Amino acid sequence: MTGLSADVLVIGGGATGAGVAWDCALRGYDTVLVDRGDLAEGTSGRFHGLLHSGGRYVVKDPSAAHECVVENAIVRRVAADAIEDTGGLFVTPPGDDPAYGDRFLAGSAEAGMPVEEITPAAALAREPRLNPGLQRAFAVADASVDVWKLVWGLARGASEHGARVLPYHRVLALRRSGDAVTGARVRNELSGEELEIETGFTLNASGAWAAEIAGMAGVEGVHVAPGKGIMIAMNHRLVNTVINRCVMPTDGDILVPIRTVSVIGTTDIRSAHPDDLPVTQAEVDAMLDDGERLVPGFREARAMRVWAGVRPLFEDKKTGDTDSTRDVSRSHALLDHAERDGITGFLTITGGKLTTYRLMAQDTVDAMVAQRGDDRPGTTASTVLPGSSEGKHYTLGTRLRDREAHLDDDQIVCECELIGRRRLEDTMRARGTRNLDDLRRSLRLGMGPCQGGFCMYRATGLLHGIGRLDGPEAVGSLRFFLQERWKGVWPILYGDQLRQARLDDWIFQGLLDVEHLPGDDAGLPPGPDTVPDAEAAVT
Amino acid sequence: MSHDAIDVGTGVAGLTAAVRLAEGGARVLVLAKGVGSTHLTGATIDVLGNPYMGSDPFNVGEAIARLPADHPYARVGGAPAVAAALDWLRAQVADGPLEGYEYAGGLERNRLLPTAVGALKPTAMAPVTMLGGEGRDPVAVVGFRQLKDFHPALVADNLARAGIAARSIELDVAVEGRADANAQALARHFDDPAARGAVAGQLAGRMRAGERVGLPAVLGLRDPARVWRELEHRLGRPVFEIPTLPPSAPGMRLYAILRAALRRLGGRVILGAAVTGPLGAGARLDGVRAAVGRREVVHRAGEVILATGGFAAGGLVLDSRWAGREAALGLPLAGMPAAGEPRFTAGYFDEQPMARAGVAVDGELRPVGRDGAPAHANVRVVGASLAGAAPWREKSGDGISLSSGHRAAELILGAAARPAVAA
Amino acid sequence: MSAAPAAAGGEDAVSVGGAPGGVLGDLMRGSLDHCVKCTICETHCPVSNVTPLFPGPKYVGPQAERFRVAGEASQDASLDYCSGCGICTQVCPHGVHIAEINSQARARMKETAGVPLRDRILGRPTLAGRLGTPVAPLANATLASRPLRRVAEKVIGLHREAAMPTFAGRTFQRWARAHTPPATAARRVAFFHGCGTNYYEPRLGEMTVALLEHNGCAVEVPRQDCCGLPLQSNGLFGDARGYVRRLVARLLPYARAGTDIVGTSTSCTLMLKREAREILGMEDDADLRLVSDAVYDVCEYLVMLHERGELRTDLRPVPETVTYHAPCQQQGHGIGKPALDLLALVPELTVVETDAACCGVAGTYGLKREKYDIAMKVGADLFAQIEAAGPDTSVCDSETCRWHMAKATGVPTVHPVALLHRAAGLA
Repeated sequence: MTGLSADVLVIGGGATGAGVAWDCALRGYDTVLVDRGDLAEGTSGRFHGLLHSGGRYVVKDPSAAHECVVENAIVRRVAADAIEDTGGLFVTPPGDDPAYGDRFLAGSAEAGMPVEEITPAAALAREPRLNPGLQRAFAVADASVDVWKLVWGLARGASEHGARVLPYHRVLALRRSGDAVTGARVRNELSGEELEIETGFTLNASGAWAAEIAGMAGVEGVHVAPGKGIMIAMNHRLVNTVINRCVMPTDGDILVPIRTVSVIGTTDIRSAHPDDLPVTQAEVDAMLDDGERLVPGFREARAMRVWAGVRPLFEDKKTGDTDSTRDVSRSHALLDHAERDGITGFLTITGGKLTTYRLMAQDTVDAMVAQRGDDRPGTTASTVLPGSSEGKHYTLGTRLRDREAHLDDDQIVCECELIGRRRLEDTMRARGTRNLDDLRRSLRLGMGPCQGGFCMYRATGLLHGIGRLDGPEAVGSLRFFLQERWKGVWPILYGDQLRQARLDDWIFQGLLDVEHLPGDDAGLPPGPDTVPDAEAAVT
Repeated sequence: MSHDAIDVGTGVAGLTAAVRLAEGGARVLVLAKGVGSTHLTGATIDVLGNPYMGSDPFNVGEAIARLPADHPYARVGGAPAVAAALDWLRAQVADGPLEGYEYAGGLERNRLLPTAVGALKPTAMAPVTMLGGEGRDPVAVVGFRQLKDFHPALVADNLARAGIAARSIELDVAVEGRADANAQALARHFDDPAARGAVAGQLAGRMRAGERVGLPAVLGLRDPARVWRELEHRLGRPVFEIPTLPPSAPGMRLYAILRAALRRLGGRVILGAAVTGPLGAGARLDGVRAAVGRREVVHRAGEVILATGGFAAGGLVLDSRWAGREAALGLPLAGMPAAGEPRFTAGYFDEQPMARAGVAVDGELRPVGRDGAPAHANVRVVGASLAGAAPWREKSGDGISLSSGHRAAELILGAAARPAVAA
Repeated sequence: MSAAPAAAGGEDAVSVGGAPGGVLGDLMRGSLDHCVKCTICETHCPVSNVTPLFPGPKYVGPQAERFRVAGEASQDASLDYCSGCGICTQVCPHGVHIAEINSQARARMKETAGVPLRDRILGRPTLAGRLGTPVAPLANATLASRPLRRVAEKVIGLHREAAMPTFAGRTFQRWARAHTPPATAARRVAFFHGCGTNYYEPRLGEMTVALLEHNGCAVEVPRQDCCGLPLQSNGLFGDARGYVRRLVARLLPYARAGTDIVGTSTSCTLMLKREAREILGMEDDADLRLVSDAVYDVCEYLVMLHERGELRTDLRPVPETVTYHAPCQQQGHGIGKPALDLLALVPELTVVETDAACCGVAGTYGLKREKYDIAMKVGADLFAQIEAAGPDTSVCDSETCRWHMAKATGVPTVHPVALLHRAAGLA
């Protein structure tokens, strides 16, 4: 078994873990980052994409709101190209209590959050699809964040400072030497090879899975409640501003424009395990109703995908066991196992929200630095990530503009997401891709409204063409993709999306007959393993 | 103006019904939201292919006889009616504006023809330009760098695993200066004698003995028979085309043939018209209401045929509260799961609970209500909106459309006792 | 089509300059949800089929629209090659308002990129009309002068070969003022003649009046101006809305009185029937809706009379061969081809119906330097069919198409009314 050694091992490649790795690398630590799957496949990859202004918390938790205010401004600066400056509105639809707006304003003042009340007419002028019966409206500094750009920016930044970023490396066991955690044994999920990692410090940033990892260190009593929430991506931007319902935080009160879609979210149901996240019909119906309240005609609009995300809610036993996990503290929790459990060289960071990833990372690394007795202050608040050096925010039209430049020398493979052939083939070669599902997550191949109906045959041909898969493997990968894609579609399959699915059936089965290759028996997908039920990507 | 019949839909089912009616002397008006299924299908007439798959050809007529009574083929009158429809279409194509272009085949045996992933799909009747794909002789599958919608290497790889000696060739062609061409642009390319001559020239020196040549289905729109024969002649070996992603050139040819026939016979077509409801009510409708632009209009007719294309075309709709409805006339649906029951299951390739939902019809293709009695005496439903089949699974799409469209027209003509007008 | 809830505020309160206003404007955009990528629009697009400069209606319409944000500068200049013929919307089986999406997106693009002087001029045919009519011989000579046309091409981008109409030197409105309608009539109609008739083809207006009177109509010709379609096509939505409102004000009294409004330009009547409502987002304008519901194309109207048995069918033989081309925007009415029904009533007339989607000119599109060649390629099939039929006359319902087709084929090209006028013995 091969081995490597480093100063710090970071477990978990979501926003927090990547943020920790970046922070450590900047401070000069030799860092290794591992994740059992692709980066941002966990909570980060499945949230709604909102960079909070803080408005959601101003009444309930003003200090959390203040955290958001500060971090929002920092993230906009250091990760500019992952952020779209959509702005946000808190609105009071008909039927809600307009008096809450006053509490909202008061809380905003207390939290130091910039806010401006505008007239309903002004809100409707800005967003014509909003409910015409709006009672009140407030403008805030919400934004939407492309979590892949963010996380890969952090990972790239860490790499540029010497870190080793290892996705698809699953932690099998943590090494203990007396009371100290000294590293981990991991398995490369793609090659099957095992690897021994020796470090002085291990940082557990595995979010909703933190308890599992902590358990490997022999730490007891860490409970992270998986708070499942479903989100539905609507096919196009019904709004271009983040819309929040101006009430105490509840289900379905946010509509986020992110890239080409608008996402309605979310629900809040205690789940048994972070990998067990079923989407229920009742939740879907509730989200559609919530959307209809904000944007009349929502139910006639096209729902594109549904998925469940999982919030890591560190349970403070004092609040007790409830179905709604929203009452459990939403600020992050940094567990100092030396103090808590007598185990050194090990810290767990869990809970929190993506907006405060940097702060969570900073707190974690600061704690490690203190324990090590080093003097290395953090610089992530002022260090710009690779790709964001020009300080320009992401704009939706970027892909369209880039495509325009190549209309006469490149082919479009995925039309919905404007992915060109050159980019696809380059990615396939560079990443050693052996299945189309990976491309779905990172490039959003086949993630648009057509559900792969047109692009997947093309991509299958290309993947076969570069020699990575043989004929049956290629078709198997296609079938596997279709099966995976279906998971996020069938719970919201009505209207236009059903029409698309039926057309795709005609193409794949009626025209191409993908389910009957010579040599098949039942004609069903051989394909690579995946994390069970992990409906990975946010759009 | 009043018509004898209003036909809603311009897919294979709708155009078949319209042309057959016009042949019989009826004044036909076709209303449609747009152009239909022809442009999207491979234009092979698949009658029944699954679960009766096999490498041995099988008798489709026998397979049809074993179908349940509520299957569309049973409703149209079984194998004889299907055979009549196939004969009819063969005649339409042979007599149509595309010189020398023909369909061949029948119910006696299915032919296994390659698909664009290299599967072998059973079909009853196909254009002669495709039939060379049958059999096990060695084949060179040819594709074009400019056409991302066809991947010859994938086809060849999978055909080889079926025991057919297959290899692939990718050519580079200058298609109207396009880096990104679709099948239609390639078909135009092949319609140009100089361009196709150049392709033949590129291929001629690379052929091996005993080898057939498979190409994507782009062998011309205006003169496919000539394109195909010239290539065969120039290369000295069988040439065949393989249907691939839309736009479907063979489908466009079929559309052109049927539209030309309809025009010649005095039929009318209005596109951009969405039928929104019946005109009148009760046993006999007076016609239909339609939305055209921002206006609602009425069209009167003695007979109405719905060829609205099922869920894929919006002829049947499932709303966000999981209620299904027939969009044009509000006819009752059969085969829908009960309220609260799942419409879909997690297995993508499994048969979904809703797969066979549609409008149930009697033996005269008239929609029936819950009690089994016809809802209207002068309405017929044809094509993908019919209940009782999952055509993409059983490979029966164009077969159902063709035979039900043909049958509905014959029933109407028979009822009116009109003598057939020589086409 | 989903129901459109009433939008708050007046239409300009919710529109930003050229951008569409109100919820219907957004619902046109929202119809992109219906797109299933089937490619049917692409196969029928006359422009993308002849040039790779235009990526096609699926691409620039429902696909690119997901990547556009209102208020952001548009990122795709290739959108400008859309001719606005509207065939994509007509053939889309799923109800995507592709042409409307394109039109709105292009207006937003021009709003940020700026509208060239040429497009401002081409957008205002009445301006040219008013300036050119008093000096018609000079104006016509200028337009015919090759050197001056080359200069015009260089300076303002009007292609030197583009088919320009000839100024008549008099207006149809003037003739109408002086014309005495019959003393009695079975019904009244209001005549919406359009700029083309007024400045370039007043004779067509006269023939239309005569034909309608012959069939028992008392024809009133209200004062009227441009419908705003050329402004809309060139992305000047604010100005276009102003024109629509002014025209609607002129026609409103007739609509209110239940009088049918009849037009000879299928493009202009389509503007009132649907485009002003859908593309300019004026659906909430109750006056426009009232006028819109009362508008008919003249052939449509004559066929309606015929169905009621009120059309005089005692027509003289016209032993000639004509071709008939239905312009794209005539097809946009969704009324079939009433001109063919009418021409079928003329004894001994041989009508060859051409089977081509678009002549290429698409209003002002084919006049432009950078688009003329595309327009000629688009129309090539139609021109070939006309030449193959060897007709005495070619028939077409839209004036810009007629001028373009006549120049390309050399065959005199007339409105269906001209033939019917002759067959009615009124010539």
